[in-house]
Amino acid sequence: MLRATRSELTRLNHRSFRLGWLGLTTLLTAMFTMVVFKAASGGTPIPTSAPGGSFPSLAELTGPHGQVVGLGAAATILGVVTLAYWAIATASDYSTGLIRLLVQAEPHRLRLLAGKVFALTCWTAVAATVATVVSVALSPLIARATDLSTSGWTSAPGDVVAMIASTWLNTFLALVVWGVIGLVIALLTRSSAVAISVGVGYVLVIEGAVRLVASDLADKLPGATLTALAGGGTDTLGYRAAIGLGLTYATIGLGAAALALVRRDITE
Amino acid sequence: MTVIRTTALTRRFGALTAVDHLSLDLPAGGVIGLVGPNGAGKSTLIRMLLGLIRPSDGTAEVLGYPITHPARYAARVGALIESPAFAPNLTAHANLLSLAHLRGLDAGRVEAVLEIVGLLGRDLEPVRTFSLGMKQRLGIAAALLPDPELLLLDEPTNGLDPAGIAEIRVLLRTLATQGRTVVVASHLLTEIEAACDYVVVITLGQLLFAGPMVELLARTSEHIDVSPENPEDSGRLHDALTTAGWVVADDGPGLRLEAPADQAPAVNRAATAAGITLSLLIARQETLEDVFLRLTGSADGDLSRQRAAQAHPTMSRQAHPVEETR
Repeated sequence: MLRATRSELTRLNHRSFRLGWLGLTTLLTAMFTMVVFKAASGGTPIPTSAPGGSFPSLAELTGPHGQVVGLGAAATILGVVTLAYWAIATASDYSTGLIRLLVQAEPHRLRLLAGKVFALTCWTAVAATVATVVSVALSPLIARATDLSTSGWTSAPGDVVAMIASTWLNTFLALVVWGVIGLVIALLTRSSAVAISVGVGYVLVIEGAVRLVASDLADKLPGATLTALAGGGTDTLGYRAAIGLGLTYATIGLGAAALALVRRDITE
Repeated sequence: MTVIRTTALTRRFGALTAVDHLSLDLPAGGVIGLVGPNGAGKSTLIRMLLGLIRPSDGTAEVLGYPITHPARYAARVGALIESPAFAPNLTAHANLLSLAHLRGLDAGRVEAVLEIVGLLGRDLEPVRTFSLGMKQRLGIAAALLPDPELLLLDEPTNGLDPAGIAEIRVLLRTLATQGRTVVVASHLLTEIEAACDYVVVITLGQLLFAGPMVELLARTSEHIDVSPENPEDSGRLHDALTTAGWVVADDGPGLRLEAPADQAPAVNRAATAAGITLSLLIARQETLEDVFLRLTGSADGDLSRQRAAQAHPTMSRQAHPVEETR
């Protein structure tokens, strides 16, 4: 599996991939952090069911975790970016025909899949780190610019490190599950365009529609689950339940991906 | 020793049989040509041998191992399957390095194969900027990475200019003299004739011929083409040559005699004796292409399948997923 991971990391290590993924992560995190603070300071109500997930309240932003709470709001859109890049990395193996060289060089297809997942997970860790750093660095500046008090924020060094670490971990876990969803759709459809369309369409349309008719069920769907996971749990879905459901979605997805890769002929 | 053995190997895609009970024993060493018209099943056969697609029926072995366990021989086999496939945004070097990592090879092997195919110096350019010929060279470099005993190359000279084709021909011969077995699937029959020691002819998934090239070329015949200066003399010339004992057939504006080249002077004398001046007298030897067309019935495989599908509409829903990607 290490060979497959090293091989995948070599293919992922190109400028457009790095700049695209990490650039979008930086931009969207900065944008969402600004919007969150602006909305809270201006009293603009953000519907909790809006695409993009739950926005923190003024009390949350001025509370102990105010410095990192904005990242939770950006987690869904960052999840979509992650889904897109995992899908591109997977589907391009098919669209370029590279998959036939890969399977020929490593006929154990599950090792190929494991290598890809591990390599993309490494990149997702980098993206989660970038998002956390941007959020932590920008929050005090934006809070000052929007006249929000930061006196209630955790300031003890040990607590700050623990808060940042748990925020990073939650964001990372949520992004990995988003990525797995992208990988599965790309593997099944063998098309990054279709995978991204299905992923974004699901978050923006389908899950929102389900919420309108069955909000209890919607709280347990992937989008809401991963938003809850990234935010350390919500009122409707606790942290442990979010982790459990997130892992379940990831396991089911990886099982489907493994089955598709092993069973199907390589006709590309 | 046999490098590839297939026994009644069959692959069906729905109602379409791409490879049809193919039984082969390919000897080790030398360059082996795999020829057949479009849709003959060449690519499907190669993909089955590499474990990319599973057979519907029959068995096969590569280097003594069953194709159901390709991991047992993958490290000893290199392949170029249809068009070269690489990540377009990566450099040639990075593409090969990625494959080298996957095979557990060191970076030094990448430089070695780049040098063999003449791409050293261009290897730090993105593959998307490469011409088809350069991509083809890179595909061959990828196939050479594991220093394979067996090379399976599907149309390796596709997109190369005449000098490049000649270069690849020399490379294939060199690789074969180093003890490797090189299997080349190609449409370029002149190349197959020039480069191969052994040839396999398949059409519509079935075996037509497998044996040494010299054995196939022994099936070629010689003939002499003649044309009278005055087209009105064509009938008289036909009669004169038939009377002299040759088998004569009309061939467009002229006549074709089944006769070896050394009888050309006698043909000329017979025409002169009949008072006919010849404007053309050429002795011809059938080429591999002539034999190929005779064996395969001069038919394009894809068109044959299409006609069959029209005759049996249930087939029309079944695409030929491998051959059509070409």
